[in-house]
Amino acid sequence: MKSKNVLLKLLSLMIVSSVLMASCGTPATTAPEAATDAPEATEAPATETADKMYEGVTIDILTFVGPQVAEPLQRRGPDFTALTGATVNIITVPNSELYQKVLTDAVSGTNSYDGYLFAPSWIVDFAPAGLIEDLTPYVEKDAALEWDDVAPFFRDFNSYGGKVYSIPLDGDMHMVYYRIDSLEEAGLEPPKTWDDYLAVAKALHGKDLNGDGEGDYGSCISKAPGQQSYWWIWSIAAPYIQSQGSNQGPFFNTKDMTPLVNNEAFKRALEVYKETGLYGPPDETNQGVGDSRGLFLSGRCALTMDWGDIGPLAIDAENSKVVDKTGAIQNPGSTEVLDWETGKLVACDATTCPYAVDGVNHAPFASFGGWAGAVNAAVDQKQKDATYAFFSYMAQPAQSNADVVVGKTGYNPFRISQFENKQAWVDAGFSQVAAEQYLSGIEQSLNSPNMAADLRIPKNHEYIQVELDRILAEYIAGNLTTDEAAQQLYDSWEAITEEADREAQLTFYKGTLGQK
Amino acid sequence: MDTRNDETQPARLHTIISGTADRLVGTIFLLPTVLALLFLSIFPLIASLYVSLTKFDIALGGFKLTFVGLKNYKDLFTGSEGTHFLGEFAPNTPLTWTVFGLIVIALAIFLARYFLNARISIGGLIGRLMLTLGLGLSSWMLVHTLWNGGRLGTASITLVYVFVGIFFQYILGLGLALLTVQNLPGRRFFRVIFLLPMMITPVGVAYMFRMLTDTSKGPFTPIWQAFGLTDFSWVNNPWSARTAILIGDIWQWTPFMFIVLVAALESQPTEPIEAATVDGANSWQIFRHITWPSIIPVSMTLILIRLIEAFKIVDLPNVMTNGGPGTATQSLTYHAYINWRALDLGASAAVAYMLLFLVTFFSMIFVNLIRQQTVETL
Amino acid sequence: MKRWFQSKSINTPSPVGAILSYLVLGFWAVLILFPLYWLIVTSFKNSGQVNEGPFYIPFVDFKPTLDAWKYILVGDLSKDTIRNFTNTAIVAPISALLALIFGATAAYALVRFEYRPRVGAILTFIGCVILSILLVSAGLTWQIALVVSFVLFFILLQTIGRRFKRALGNNDIAFWMISQRMLPPIAVVIPIYLIFQQLHLLDTYTALIITYVASNLPIVIWLMRDYISNIPIELEECASIDGASRYRIFWSIVLPLAVPGLVATFLFVLVFTWNEYLLALFLSSAKVQTLPLTIAAQNATRGPQWWNMSVLILIMIVPVIVIAIILERYITRGLLIGAVKG
Repeated sequence: MKSKNVLLKLLSLMIVSSVLMASCGTPATTAPEAATDAPEATEAPATETADKMYEGVTIDILTFVGPQVAEPLQRRGPDFTALTGATVNIITVPNSELYQKVLTDAVSGTNSYDGYLFAPSWIVDFAPAGLIEDLTPYVEKDAALEWDDVAPFFRDFNSYGGKVYSIPLDGDMHMVYYRIDSLEEAGLEPPKTWDDYLAVAKALHGKDLNGDGEGDYGSCISKAPGQQSYWWIWSIAAPYIQSQGSNQGPFFNTKDMTPLVNNEAFKRALEVYKETGLYGPPDETNQGVGDSRGLFLSGRCALTMDWGDIGPLAIDAENSKVVDKTGAIQNPGSTEVLDWETGKLVACDATTCPYAVDGVNHAPFASFGGWAGAVNAAVDQKQKDATYAFFSYMAQPAQSNADVVVGKTGYNPFRISQFENKQAWVDAGFSQVAAEQYLSGIEQSLNSPNMAADLRIPKNHEYIQVELDRILAEYIAGNLTTDEAAQQLYDSWEAITEEADREAQLTFYKGTLGQK
Repeated sequence: MDTRNDETQPARLHTIISGTADRLVGTIFLLPTVLALLFLSIFPLIASLYVSLTKFDIALGGFKLTFVGLKNYKDLFTGSEGTHFLGEFAPNTPLTWTVFGLIVIALAIFLARYFLNARISIGGLIGRLMLTLGLGLSSWMLVHTLWNGGRLGTASITLVYVFVGIFFQYILGLGLALLTVQNLPGRRFFRVIFLLPMMITPVGVAYMFRMLTDTSKGPFTPIWQAFGLTDFSWVNNPWSARTAILIGDIWQWTPFMFIVLVAALESQPTEPIEAATVDGANSWQIFRHITWPSIIPVSMTLILIRLIEAFKIVDLPNVMTNGGPGTATQSLTYHAYINWRALDLGASAAVAYMLLFLVTFFSMIFVNLIRQQTVETL
Repeated sequence: MKRWFQSKSINTPSPVGAILSYLVLGFWAVLILFPLYWLIVTSFKNSGQVNEGPFYIPFVDFKPTLDAWKYILVGDLSKDTIRNFTNTAIVAPISALLALIFGATAAYALVRFEYRPRVGAILTFIGCVILSILLVSAGLTWQIALVVSFVLFFILLQTIGRRFKRALGNNDIAFWMISQRMLPPIAVVIPIYLIFQQLHLLDTYTALIITYVASNLPIVIWLMRDYISNIPIELEECASIDGASRYRIFWSIVLPLAVPGLVATFLFVLVFTWNEYLLALFLSSAKVQTLPLTIAAQNATRGPQWWNMSVLILIMIVPVIVIAIILERYITRGLLIGAVKG
């Protein structure tokens, strides 16, 4: 019996002392009071004029391990220090866990980081909760940022409810890349519609494209679950569904929030997506974008759909076999579009497709939308100012225009001046042809009045990354028919909407489209 | 907590011990461990149980958990999440009825034998009833999802990984251990080599196997092509994908079995073996009657540890196949991980708790029936 | 002819047996080494050489490049690599050693002493835990709640807790311990994060070490239990007749006899902590990131960077191999076997 008492005393001693240690120990070093005062209260966050106005300030910025995206931040950090005195720490975590890291840190009130370089589609999660700072007042005062030079689409995409929450350093959208030489040889035109795309892919599949005597692939579009398949499918589906301009939106019916997936248009997109697999590598169902990109750059694919990265990567002769052989076009479109009332596909005419070019409706899909910097709302004002100033510095034309032309950075153009000024690209090593080819693809897409934005409403992870991803995977694996897939997707999306409150979701959705 | 000396020990040991420190020795030896485990286990256990009963949302200035009762669990057994978790059930056929009937009969015999036995205790009865029910339900699930059009859910897939994986790891580990305890020149070289796979970080192993199994740029591509398999890829068939993952798992964890068994074999006394050799026993008899009994306790521990660890398999399916084709290679932990990534922390915790339930069930069976019986019958 | 099948002594195989053994061992060694060879080869490739199809032998079918090695060791990533490597090299051995010390003593205690934790005491404890949670959700700070429920626990234990005579045994304790590893890390990582956040220990070695020690203790205990129970109790009895204390017996008799087991167990725990990913990811924010994070991070937006990954895996595995080579001789030297061996 005696030993038990001693045990208890020991136990109590340990617990009590640990409590004491914890409560009297180090005061909160990482959780300052949530600053609620408006930024107007302090000096204007000027960025170039200041003579070391952030001397002694250290800012911690979280992003994922590079080289792309993180590298320019790390490289320009010391320059920024020289300019303003603020020390910049770039903290990197694996890309797959970035969202969870940002979330746990901010939501639990730990606030180890002053800023995040993340996906602008995430601001819809963080902004309403007041976890990231409203940057509108900063942007308004910041002439050096040249906000008006940022393409309108990206200005919108980095805003939420009319307020700017993140500063874009990168602009992302899907484009189709093709092999100029292979298509010419076969007497084929670059595809205008998805049917053309399939025809070209079919015609070139099995042909030797890189001169090694082995048959290559007609099309490489990654299909692995848990990667990016949910973006590719919307790139294909958008022109079938959205025809009345960017603010129509391809995901839900803006009348009642019913998903636009159980209809002929989306089913057609599913079939196209699956059919591209017939003209691709045998293990395409397990390929992510890195794999398909690698195959295209090594000259093994006639066609691929990708973000802007291929342009700068294709001109790097050391790792690319397709230097000056790479053409870029906006995503193919469709000559038939969805009638939202009946769920049937109807032919394009002046009313059904007001923005059609040569009878083809395009809806370039800005999937993901680029990397952007956001400022933690819970840190000291001085920290916020310095963090904003750093993102602004990175996004200013002087820095950004040099970064977007380099493949290594992973930054793609998002400023109008960046694709208007071809000289910068030529200076960076692009040939005249390559620069024109690449930029025209981007320009076509960004100038389209019918561009489609990524889904940005609460629960978008559940809609897209859980349900759509799983159903798409089962569909690609042949476990579901097209009808079953569309029906299942419809049902599961309805269930999420129902659970989350239909009216609220609809308001959010319309808000992101700029509808009232 | 009382500390007494083990009854099997002679009393004289106890009487000699004196001094406060010696009286407390039992406490001092065990307390730090108990405290450390309590410190890091109670809160997470309760917290994740609570989270599994709630819906997680980001809210103003932080997050909120809305209590939803058993909804997350109910979802796991119904609708499309049910298909994901339990699998797609094929209609009954004579085959499924026959197989399931046989299993039911076997379980009934098992129960009947216990009832006919005079010594019935409440604990034993409840345990056996649970066991029968659990095995009955899981075999019902397996017979309907394994054949003719059924598809395995994440629960069954995990069971496949665990049992097939451990079977091969143990057999291979034991075989290699027996070979390398022989007096062969160079055996130490082999021992170090055989340890290597375990030392690579699991994520690394997963990426390495992804590289090796790539059918267009992996090292075995020419072999595939020589067999005319240019248009075939293991990733498109559920069972070939699972096999690939199992190969990775076996490659990585055989060393664990191997090295513990080597240590066990090395520390067994040689005298009985020498005596047996003198009596003319052959090597199989020596293994069966001397070596095997002496390594059974360690083997059982090893299998239990691997059982618990293998249920948590996630890196290999995540990296090698992303859970595909379809959901054919997703394990339970991966299932939980998908929900977790999508912020559905409640559903994620519910899956984790179902996993905990499964692991506990199988480890209890293992510890109470198999381990005790094999160790006792020696 | 017969001598080909005859072994010279019990542990030495016959010549035919030896050849067969070598064949099997060699085959398995190839299975182990080929993937590693592929890693080494890949680490000298650039992205083009990886994507264009399999190349096997440097200088013969492709021109090796040191780009990946430079990038990791002296280039952009070098700062991260070195910091994370140092962290791993600090955290893993310390955790493994602590886990081994606590685990081995606990395992010894579970083998040699009898514990009878009362069911009543356990129920009281669980009750007080629930109480403290209720108190926290009612708005008290966790410090106060913990003290209140602890005081209550103490009082209840002396009164109600003694009423129930039913008690558990050593096997139940051991099973409880191993059951701590049953929940998948994904379910516990956020609660553990919150614990260390409250203690202001995030991003410190302490947090990582505590977590690793606690999470590996069950494995140490279970493995060591078997090794220790194999040690003949007679040796300990003799020593105690000679007047040695329990500590002395443990230190000078049990531990030396358990060396093969200790070494094998240490190696595991070292490997587990060396390679742990998820907890390291969450408990570190910058300073104490470990190397597995860097490896996982090589699958970024541009797909897996095979060449960088290969370099990192190789860098990471070398120290463990060295330790394994050093420790392997202790596993071999089964002390109980004595001089008669061979």
